[in-house]
Amino acid sequence: MTGRGLSFIRNLPGLLHSRLQWGNTLQQLSCLHTSTSLESKNWEKMNRKVYPPQLPDEPRRPAVIHHSRRQIKYSKDKMWYLAKLIRGMSIDEAIAQLEFNDKKGAKIMKEVLLEAQEMAVKNHNVEYKSNLYVAESYTGKGKYLKRIRYHGRGMFGIMDKVYCHYFVKLVEGSPPKTEEKTSFDQAKEYVQSLKNRTIIHSL
Amino acid sequence: MMNLSGLIHSLRCSLLRIESRLLPAGLDLKPAPALALNGPSLLPQIHQDQDLNLEDQQISDQPSRVLDGLLWMAAPKKRRTIEVNRTRRRADSKLLEVKNNIEPCPECGHLKQKHVLCGFCYTKVCKETAAIRAQMKAMEGGPLNAPAVETLVLYEGETPTPQDQDRRIVERPRKRPAWFSP
Repeated sequence: MTGRGLSFIRNLPGLLHSRLQWGNTLQQLSCLHTSTSLESKNWEKMNRKVYPPQLPDEPRRPAVIHHSRRQIKYSKDKMWYLAKLIRGMSIDEAIAQLEFNDKKGAKIMKEVLLEAQEMAVKNHNVEYKSNLYVAESYTGKGKYLKRIRYHGRGMFGIMDKVYCHYFVKLVEGSPPKTEEKTSFDQAKEYVQSLKNRTIIHSL
Repeated sequence: MMNLSGLIHSLRCSLLRIESRLLPAGLDLKPAPALALNGPSLLPQIHQDQDLNLEDQQISDQPSRVLDGLLWMAAPKKRRTIEVNRTRRRADSKLLEVKNNIEPCPECGHLKQKHVLCGFCYTKVCKETAAIRAQMKAMEGGPLNAPAVETLVLYEGETPTPQDQDRRIVERPRKRPAWFSP
């Protein structure tokens, strides 16, 4: 056996290992996009997260409930206004506001909130159904159906039949109080941020 | 999706073919509807007769005639960015207002607006009224048989008073509801 042959045999596992690593990284890179597709329903999966039992001196972790409704026949932009309305409210307040709102999405959102409240009491060990608040609420675009809209002179447009998703996260406890800043304070902050401007990495 | 796009493409092709066959080729050169402006021609004319007229017009009021055609149709100059769109759509005036006139109904406990009747109480009254009307319909038998006297609704265990002798009595086989005073 020549020295070159021996050195080649010694380097062989290293070469194979590096080749395998490259192959693995390629596989890993290709796997990065397999989970984030349109079929993945991650919001519902967040309810399945299980924490280890809490130690006696730890502060009590509040219960968190994720709920959503998919493919609602409504526009996501119009639904957004309702989602923005109930952000940060207690669940009773949110349900009251939605009950007396005339929009189509309000009825659907109220159903979703009531479902989530029931889920919280049944499955997520929430003691008082009123002791919940809306931590997050937002809308997303659903899968649209496309139709033809006929114009004059033989022209046509493609009409979208819009659908949206609605996501809500309820947390146990009373809603956090957001301190309202006065306009004078906001102006002072803005002026301060302008004064703080400087050249970084200078002498 | 594929079927729809294929269909659209075939529609377009067929329309173009029909146009080219029906109309002579010289008439409609552009497939899209062209904008026809009634103004001065920006290109030089070939005819000799009109040369003098055109020159006179152009000398007298050149700037207004040339600009007229350009300022006729309003069109956006630039695409509105998503930031600009968001500030317009999410302005305070366009957000929904929180209603502060919601309170619980003292009768049933459901929520109601201050200036509106409670929905639950209203529906319960509607249901009882519908039942009374069904009873009256059964008593009358057909249309246009309503008697020309007043009606009195009696529930279980109630007897008509001497005042109610000339009233038609509608019997309801249930206990008198608390909200219906005699």
